[in-house]
Amino acid sequence: MVSLARRNLFHDRLRFAITVAGVAFAVTLVLVQVGLFMGLLDKATVTIRNASADLWVTSRNTPNLDFAHTFPETAALRARSVPGVLRADNLIVAFMNIQLPSGATEGSVVYALEDFGLWNLPWSVTAGSPNDLKRGYSVLMDRSAELRYGPFAVGDTREIQGRRFRIAGTTDEAASFTTTPIVFMDYRNAQELQEQLRGNTTYVLVKLAPGADRAAVQRELARRLPYNDVFTREEWAQRSRDYWVKSTGLGMSMGVTVFLGILVGIVIVAQTLYTSAVEHIKEFGTVKAIGGSNLDIYRILGEQALIAAVVGFALGAAFSFVARPIMAGIHLNVLISPGFTAVVFAGTVLMCLGSALFSFRRVAGIDPALVFRA
Amino acid sequence: MTEKVLAVENVTKVFEEGRQRVEVLKGITMDVAAGEVVALEGPSGSGKTTLLSIMGCILTPTSGELSVAGAPVHPSDEGALRDVRRRSIGFVFQQYNLFPALSALENVEYSLNVRGVRGRKAHEEARRVLDLVGLGDRRGFLPRDLSGGQKQRVAIARALAGSPPVLLADEPTANLDTATGAQVLDLFRDLAKGERKGLLIVTHDPKVRRIADRLVGIRDGRLVRDGADAVAA
Repeated sequence: MVSLARRNLFHDRLRFAITVAGVAFAVTLVLVQVGLFMGLLDKATVTIRNASADLWVTSRNTPNLDFAHTFPETAALRARSVPGVLRADNLIVAFMNIQLPSGATEGSVVYALEDFGLWNLPWSVTAGSPNDLKRGYSVLMDRSAELRYGPFAVGDTREIQGRRFRIAGTTDEAASFTTTPIVFMDYRNAQELQEQLRGNTTYVLVKLAPGADRAAVQRELARRLPYNDVFTREEWAQRSRDYWVKSTGLGMSMGVTVFLGILVGIVIVAQTLYTSAVEHIKEFGTVKAIGGSNLDIYRILGEQALIAAVVGFALGAAFSFVARPIMAGIHLNVLISPGFTAVVFAGTVLMCLGSALFSFRRVAGIDPALVFRA
Repeated sequence: MTEKVLAVENVTKVFEEGRQRVEVLKGITMDVAAGEVVALEGPSGSGKTTLLSIMGCILTPTSGELSVAGAPVHPSDEGALRDVRRRSIGFVFQQYNLFPALSALENVEYSLNVRGVRGRKAHEEARRVLDLVGLGDRRGFLPRDLSGGQKQRVAIARALAGSPPVLLADEPTANLDTATGAQVLDLFRDLAKGERKGLLIVTHDPKVRRIADRLVGIRDGRLVRDGADAVAA
């Protein structure tokens, strides 16, 4: 069957290129921007997802992992006494200052545990070992810190809160939402560095005994620790994500970006399809005169919109996926899941078909008698 | 030559624009038989294009009867009118109205697709009618690469495709030079006779009379002459 839609679309290559470029731009904007946001959100919960804790005890109303408040470290002892708890340990997450060789002071997020190996933290060690942290004042530093701290090597020393620490190893993938570099150190060393941490912790990690009822243990922990909150891993990750999405305006900002992307797509596709429909009005009149219906013309416009959607999406998605490793090189994680890609594809098709509706209105009233006008 | 393929009886058409009421056709009765060539002549504003539109089921008359291929047409039903156009009428336009992005063959094939003929059958029929109008060697050409006469031949092939019993042509020689116009008219006559089509040509061109079996004149919405004698006049 001859496709007038396709032939007309490819006949005017410049217009087709503009249409496809508009769709591709909208797709790239949405995929990359939302992908970046998802990547950031992923960082916000990467520690929660990798740590092998089933339950997290936090101070009351802690909004997210990075903004921790202190509470007495004896909470861990109480947690250990709850039936169904296999293990409970204190985890300190605290912002501390680090002195760079240049003399500048930078921030760092310190993660401190007595035994990192028991909690799968850090989960990706590229040099050294968490056991090295037991040997004096040592730290493991994440490689992403080089962006903020400059180059460093195992064996170098850095001052944290005025105390000299040796870099005993390096990690990978440990990052915070705020992009402040993560440093792993021994629990007691961390307590020495800040007055408020002495005798205090910021979290208690809880591992359940095999067969224990998670909800029951969670309820009992909450009862025995009335000034704390107790979350499952998923609840805590969701709470951390929600904070960044809802409380900071970032979610709204992303919504506006997606809206603008869709708006740009609709304007470009609608404008080019409409102009094309107007320019081909006599052809559509001829289609009607020879027995075609409005539906035949809607099909032509719909097929053109669909082609623009598919080609534009393919280009936009290809561009976005090519951009991922480039952005990863500067430690920007663009997270594009297959599910989100499918949603964007469906949205692109809807956007283009929706744009074609403007043209539908224009062609619906075509009088086939116009074919007799010179 | 008595089988009527197109007939109107006492057809009127009134256009109303605001308070103005313009009666363009005032009770026209005429017909076209299979294999007959009828030329419809008249000055601008006489109502000939309106009459052509009504006979082509594109415009609905205000009153009167219309029949195509021997069957009465109910003008109030837009779907039925479209169906008649699809099955029974082939159009040839003054400006050719070919689809610029489609080749000669595709132009014909697409019109068959619109009429519900698909696939190989449409392809074969398109080739057949293009051969019939002498454009078998120009099938793959886009309209921009064809001369005016060739474009009009493609338009004629498109009108013939699917073998509708009625052909309606609106000023088919208006954009052609004398020699090409004459060739197109000869083609029209041969096809109308050979394929037994009822052919109605709306024209200003006196040369159309040469191929017409009958001349119908129209002035101010009324027929002023109708008959074979008029051709000789």
